[in-house]
Amino acid sequence: MKTAKTFSLLSLFVLLVTAWAQNPGYRVDPGWKVPPKAAVKKNPLPPTPAVLAGGKALFRAHCASCHGRDGQGGRRAADFHLAAVQAQSDGALLYKMSHGYRRKGMPSFSQLPEVQRWQIILYLRELGKERGHRK
Amino acid sequence: MRRRTLSLAARLFSALFMLLYLGLRARAQEAPYFVTYDHHLEEPSSLEIEASTTAGSPHGGQRTFFAPYTEFEYGVTGWWTSELYVEGQTTAQDSTLFTGWRLENRFALLAHDHAVNPVLYFEYEDVNEASRITTEVTGHNQLGPDTNATARLQLDRELETKLILSGDRHGWNISWNGIVEKNFTQNEGVEFGYALGVAHSLAGLSSGANCVFCRNALALGLEAYGGLGSTQSLTLRDTAQYIAPVLAWQLSPNSTLRLSPGVGLTHVSEPLLLRIGYSYEFPGFGEALAGLLHHRGKSGLQ
Repeated sequence: MKTAKTFSLLSLFVLLVTAWAQNPGYRVDPGWKVPPKAAVKKNPLPPTPAVLAGGKALFRAHCASCHGRDGQGGRRAADFHLAAVQAQSDGALLYKMSHGYRRKGMPSFSQLPEVQRWQIILYLRELGKERGHRK
Repeated sequence: MRRRTLSLAARLFSALFMLLYLGLRARAQEAPYFVTYDHHLEEPSSLEIEASTTAGSPHGGQRTFFAPYTEFEYGVTGWWTSELYVEGQTTAQDSTLFTGWRLENRFALLAHDHAVNPVLYFEYEDVNEASRITTEVTGHNQLGPDTNATARLQLDRELETKLILSGDRHGWNISWNGIVEKNFTQNEGVEFGYALGVAHSLAGLSSGANCVFCRNALALGLEAYGGLGSTQSLTLRDTAQYIAPVLAWQLSPNSTLRLSPGVGLTHVSEPLLLRIGYSYEFPGFGEALAGLLHHRGKSGLQ
């Protein structure tokens, strides 16, 4: 009986946290500007299975705690399946990942080697393809 | 009454579950420094617990000591990190004692990362003279044969501020800390110190495998730190100066082991300071806790 109650409470809690963490109203912040020179950068990595596997592992390690395990977004973090996110260039995403936006809670990941940041972006593109873009 | 106990047990069980759940998906990307601060703050709502020890070799009539300390570092917002230290000390053939606590706060001044990123640091410490963790060096120094019984009677209540300037470039981090410290319990004037660190991650393209014994798990660096005198005597004479290679080894996605053998460069420095630290991070800890307590987190990131 006690176990059942605990399990029920736990399930309810996980459900509430998960529901609370969704962010369907995410909009790209117009104040977060990317310099044109940075925005035109192309991802130098090929989307091979090995590189993507690395990108997925890096995403899970560094991004998933806020953006969700599958990039579905969080209470304060963008859903990577959204068209508004996927429409941004690789260079813009690299710039945002590298420079962060502390007021919005986005840390900078400049301490990661650039090649690993590109791997993450490659994986973000795969996320976009997996479920299709959401409006 | 029984219902209340049951509810408490359920909450504790849920908290434990969340900690384990968060731990499994946690991450760590630690700078290897022990003394120098870089500009990277704790991620909002994340809690990092680190257990470290500073060990010193005998010198000038002193005995070997071990000074363990535990840090609880929490990301309050994207631009504010708060940290609590509790520390102790054991001296060979002497005693073991609690030496005090420190509360520090770091505030990033810029919204985005730039080439050089300023962070302001404020710390209040309530320790005694037996404290040997040496997480900062300021003013002048003297090595004496004080016993723990004598040293613990002398209290140090200090306010310490730092200006942290740090930047990342091509996988390298360079950080400089300028320190200003005022001890309210002793007439030492205002003391100055510095710390300088350079570090490089050996990581390259990630394979996706959980690799412990590979270069992707390692970061190396070098830090130098020491006193710069005080307003009573603004000279380098009798200041402690150290240079220390540092190594960070990521043991799992959420834990890091750090090592550093520091060498004293002046006659008032400890000849050898060996440091070891193990940190474990719980991302989203604050939000999970707020959820448990049915309060919305005050992380300021909405």
